[in-house]
Amino acid sequence: MKKTLALAAVTALLGVTSACGSDDNGGSSADGGPEKADLVVWLNGADTPQEARDWLKETFEEENPGSTLTIEEQEWDGLVERMTTALSSEDQTPDVVEVGNTQAPTFTTAGAFSDLTGDLEDLGGDDLLPGFVEAATVEGKTYAVPYYAGSTYVFYRKDLFKKAGVEVPTTMDEFVDVAVQLKKESGKADFSGYWLPGQDWRDGAAFLWDAGGDFAVADGDAWTASLSTPESQEGLATVQQLFTEASGAPADANESDPVTPFCADKVGMMSRPGWVYGMLTDEESGCPDLAKQIGVFALPGSDGEPAPVLLGGSDIAIPAKSPNQDLAREAVSLMLSDDYQGILAEAGLTPAKESLATLLGDDEFAQATIAAASNAKLTPAAANWATVEGTRVLEDLFSQIAQGGDIADLAADADARIDDELN
Amino acid sequence: MPRGAPAATRNPLPVGLVIPAACLLALALGYPLIRQVVLSAQEFGLAQQFGQPPAWVGLQNYRDLVTDPYLWKVVARTVGFCFVNAGLTLAIGMGVAQLMTRMSPWVRMASQIGLMLAWATPVVAAMTVWQFMFDTEYGLVNWVLVQFGGDYAGHSWLIEPLSFFAVATLIVVWMSVPFVVFTLYAALTQVPEDVVEAAEIDGAGAWARFVHVVLPTIRPVLLVVLLLQIIWDLRVFTQIYSLQKAGGITRDTNLLGTYIYSLGIKGGEFGTAAAAAMFMLVLTVVLTAPYIRMMIKQEED
Repeated sequence: MKKTLALAAVTALLGVTSACGSDDNGGSSADGGPEKADLVVWLNGADTPQEARDWLKETFEEENPGSTLTIEEQEWDGLVERMTTALSSEDQTPDVVEVGNTQAPTFTTAGAFSDLTGDLEDLGGDDLLPGFVEAATVEGKTYAVPYYAGSTYVFYRKDLFKKAGVEVPTTMDEFVDVAVQLKKESGKADFSGYWLPGQDWRDGAAFLWDAGGDFAVADGDAWTASLSTPESQEGLATVQQLFTEASGAPADANESDPVTPFCADKVGMMSRPGWVYGMLTDEESGCPDLAKQIGVFALPGSDGEPAPVLLGGSDIAIPAKSPNQDLAREAVSLMLSDDYQGILAEAGLTPAKESLATLLGDDEFAQATIAAASNAKLTPAAANWATVEGTRVLEDLFSQIAQGGDIADLAADADARIDDELN
Repeated sequence: MPRGAPAATRNPLPVGLVIPAACLLALALGYPLIRQVVLSAQEFGLAQQFGQPPAWVGLQNYRDLVTDPYLWKVVARTVGFCFVNAGLTLAIGMGVAQLMTRMSPWVRMASQIGLMLAWATPVVAAMTVWQFMFDTEYGLVNWVLVQFGGDYAGHSWLIEPLSFFAVATLIVVWMSVPFVVFTLYAALTQVPEDVVEAAEIDGAGAWARFVHVVLPTIRPVLLVVLLLQIIWDLRVFTQIYSLQKAGGITRDTNLLGTYIYSLGIKGGEFGTAAAAAMFMLVLTVVLTAPYIRMMIKQEED
């Protein structure tokens, strides 16, 4: 017994010391010869299509004989924690990481990524999505480049619209009415005229912003949480109305699985990124028959223009602790090449370069994407924003609003916590 | 203790065997502990994690913690959860162990296998199953209750803190009862039957026999089990963490374990998290001290 304990102790100890390994910045191989390594690339979730992954691996290995490239798929959920631990150790760090565009500032300001300023011109320069580059730039140095963007638009069921006798809404008020109307028409408690699970603050954000509210505003170097402003509260009231009158999704659920309720015939409209269409029409995981009835439009704002929606998307960066800096740069430039970005565009992801937007095509999906992206917004570019997401302040807030909680109280509470995290 | 023990102490073999293990343990436990003490006196955030030199802040991290009323809420919740769970686990475990002494061998074997399976299920796998059972929309529990005419369609089990902890308790107790049953059953088989019979002849009822004969005999085992249970239930993490993601309001359901995790790994304030972890260490020692004292006293008797 003692022996196994001791063995376990040794293993644990080895784990501990190697996790705290040396902290010199690795460069290319010491002998000056061509660098050969097994490059590890972290991609998150299923967003990157398989075709792109295969292309990246093959092309990279062709152009760098002797080196290999392995793609390790990470889950979005818990990514910040995993990066915090893995990126600080030379032994465990991947060589290239995909990081959510709202999570990037946390790592760029902490010095976790290598400086890419010198490579920007080669990678695309002014053609790169400017908002993404800006958010990854600290004191004039850029630490991450855009990978893809994807703003959400609204999927709706044409057959249910016809049955309820409603048209595609063109203003925010009409949108809310249609959502409520669809639910009434269905007569079912678990049906969603507009599908909005309780923890889904990312889609809820559009209503907050449309009313003129915000999560937090910059005040010099400091940030002030602003969920309690009258505008924010008005937006949150719309969210609460949607939760209580239009959505049938549980107040404690998250948005990770839209396919199940949609295919169970429980959804009239939902805000989702474009690539969800592929999941819905998939023979195995989706419901192609129902999906035939899908139409899409950009969420309309109060002024009739597209509402400001959360601009989702990813950055790519090279961890500063990666010993294979040069090879990693090769991989990054492949991922920003027109060929690779073209594959992403075909899958409905907005390419990292503006000039490639035409690759999205010109069907109604592409038009909805472009319309939604035209007024898309990012979460506050505060260094600590990722910890707000990590500590689930907003999940808590929206879930409590969904339960019918008092908006003024909840917003004041959340403001105090966000102030605490950001400053 | 049998006399003749002095001869054994002169034999260097036992000491020699223990020393390497003890050294490794001291190293494996000592290093993280010292690191933690050091961290708790530093301002250590994400920038430090990636190479900036940390600044010394003395007791500031501790001051920040203890002046935050939220910490005390979490501590109270943690201690309450721990005692309820340890108590329930022990009571149910004792009940089942007693039942087992009365089962026919076949039934006993079947229940032992059942318990073993519950115990051997990896926590994350078990949590997936439990989450499905209590899922708001597609959960088995809601479905069954609706079949019996209950108004439970779309009922959220996790969104109210009290009901959240009820579910958590169910899961934690379910996972820890088997260990208690096995240990206590083994102890119960060691209770000398003649003593129990003698008590019965003297007119002691079942309850009196249990309290005055059985309990004192298995007291040492009971103490160890209780001690382990308290330590385990103080640091329960995985169950709470996954239930929070499945729908609990994070802030209303944090226990010390998840609070430290959200401070450190999620919030990037490793210094404060280390201070909170020190706090938890002290709490564990304080809560378990009485039992350890009782155990040592028993040993001396």
